Amino acid sequence: MSDDNFKIQRNLWENPWGYVESFFIGFGLIITGLFLEVFSSSKNAFTISYPYNVFFLVGYMLLLFMLFKWFSNTQLIRWLTKVPASISSIALVTFMVMIMGIIPQVTSQNNLINNLGLNHITSNWAFLLILFQFLTCLGLISIKRILQFKWSNFGFILNHVGLFLTLIAGILGTGDLQRLSLNVYEGKPNWIATDLNGQEVELPFAFYLKDFLIDEYNPKLALVDNKTGSISHNDGKNLYLVEKGETYYFHNFEVKINEFFPNSGRFGKRYEPVNEIGSPPSASISVKNTKTDSVQNAWISSGSFRYPYESFKISEDYSVVMTIPEVKKFSSDIDILTKEGERISTILEVNKPYKYKGWKIYQLSYDEKMGKWSNLSVLELVKDPWLPLIYTGIFMMIAGAIYMFWMGNKITKNN
Amino acid sequence: MTWIDFPLYGSIIGILWIIGLLFLVISYKKQAVLKIANLLFITGWAVLLLFVIKLWLELDRPPMRTLGETRLWYATFLPLIGFVTYIRWKYKWFLAYSIGMATMFLAINYLNPETYSKTLMPALQSPWFIPHVLVYLFSYAVLAASSIVAIKGWYDSYKQKFNIETLKLADNLVYIGFAFLTLGLLFGALWAKEAWGHYWTWDPKEVWAFLTWMGYLIYIHYRNFHIHKTKQALTILAMAFVVLLVCWFGVNYLPVANTSVHTYTNY
Repeated sequence: MSDDNFKIQRNLWENPWGYVESFFIGFGLIITGLFLEVFSSSKNAFTISYPYNVFFLVGYMLLLFMLFKWFSNTQLIRWLTKVPASISSIALVTFMVMIMGIIPQVTSQNNLINNLGLNHITSNWAFLLILFQFLTCLGLISIKRILQFKWSNFGFILNHVGLFLTLIAGILGTGDLQRLSLNVYEGKPNWIATDLNGQEVELPFAFYLKDFLIDEYNPKLALVDNKTGSISHNDGKNLYLVEKGETYYFHNFEVKINEFFPNSGRFGKRYEPVNEIGSPPSASISVKNTKTDSVQNAWISSGSFRYPYESFKISEDYSVVMTIPEVKKFSSDIDILTKEGERISTILEVNKPYKYKGWKIYQLSYDEKMGKWSNLSVLELVKDPWLPLIYTGIFMMIAGAIYMFWMGNKITKNN
Repeated sequence: MTWIDFPLYGSIIGILWIIGLLFLVISYKKQAVLKIANLLFITGWAVLLLFVIKLWLELDRPPMRTLGETRLWYATFLPLIGFVTYIRWKYKWFLAYSIGMATMFLAINYLNPETYSKTLMPALQSPWFIPHVLVYLFSYAVLAASSIVAIKGWYDSYKQKFNIETLKLADNLVYIGFAFLTLGLLFGALWAKEAWGHYWTWDPKEVWAFLTWMGYLIYIHYRNFHIHKTKQALTILAMAFVVLLVCWFGVNYLPVANTSVHTYTNY
């Protein structure tokens, strides 16, 4: 290890390789990758799926073991198991990810970005190559520590093997990951889903939507600038919820909510509660100008896809409006119908997916224009056979993090 | 027991904790006083726990739905993390730090009564919400502290009186903070799997959270193998904190911001 204590004059590429050589190799990989991006004809992302990813995983692990076992005296392997290689690859992976964090990952107007593939970093050859070096370092160093069979390596192995498993399973699993979305309308069974590329996929079971339900929060009250049309109170944050009997204050206006109907319709000069599709919420308000003591009454409504909104102009500068209610919760009461004639009832909700035959079924969306009157529910089906391996890695890292918190670092402990 | 009682309970807890903090300051001069401080902290915490339990029973659901309730949980768990860290690492100011943050959350709740912010979008309504945010909150606080130590280190070496103990303190803080950072990241991944169907989607906030994690990873590896290169270590620590700040506040201003699921305007 190159420390301050022994500064020996050495030439580039002389044994052992240090930071300069490491970054040289790392940048070499990145430049090679970028050349591949520019000159390779295929614009499809590089993925491998079952069974080739399993072959790759087994082959890669065997290769790492063999390299460590029989070639650990070679220049290359010694370099890969030393700190400069690790730190340089961490730094360069960080560098590539930073590009992803700055350049939006969509087709760009800048041709240089498009040609170098900087708008699809996750499948960019430069990123994949440097990540491969990173993983190889991580894998070799893990093997080295595992084969030492020492309890003191416990935390180290949890963290390093955990990360290795999570990354490799995440990368190789991409090829087997299936994400389908499925539209299901109330009362009509459906078994045709679409994948991410818009291809239709026929499922071995069907979904039947009995009921789609939305809970909404009450709408909010906002003060709008008549000239700009923007909300001019609290920067649009923390608006007041419309609730009967509440009084709120905007500048020199006192707004009292006399009545609130979640579903209503206009009858002449006022709103009345009704129960029909597209009936918007409404409220009767009294606005008192505390400077002049004048009081005005009005009805306001946030409107819906069927009815226009109604605001109330309280002065030359400001109007009071009711915002469109935010969704509190949405859920689908569904039946899963199998070919064998089975019928499984369940309720899908955001954050509460349902597991069925290796699929995880999620409540994804609905007809947002129709809002709470939507009779469409959009479901998502995800199958990720590599998940157990990824979770193993994640839980190892969680255990490793707790170990790390408790044990601290060796530098502090040794002293 | 509802939020109507909160000002009463909140003030009792606040007063107990603030007096406790005063005793903690005194204990730097007179060690014996620390016991009184701890007693006050624990009493305050017990009152808070009582409030949370009663609120829970009254509402007949876990009080986890509104932002005010979320802050209540932060205030409940921060002292707990602070105590565990104190028991293990004996940094007194650490305890003060976490109690101070908890008091701040109680104060925010006191100043913003419930009517202000009741809405929470469906994806956020999850048992993962509180642990995910809480460990990040704590991690950022600890890592921020490590940066303050780094600045002290820079200043000291500029004055030619650098003490290696400063860097050791920074190391320890980074280890504690990094452990929590890892937990926050992984809890987020597990939650995302439940909410959005995938554990990692390279959302801009995720990208920068990953970068923050990598930044501190570089620091840890560098420190482990180049114990005597203190200046470089301090530089890496400072850079990692810049990345953390980008992740925390800066992401919203980057060109990638509009594709993020993490850009909620109010927490």
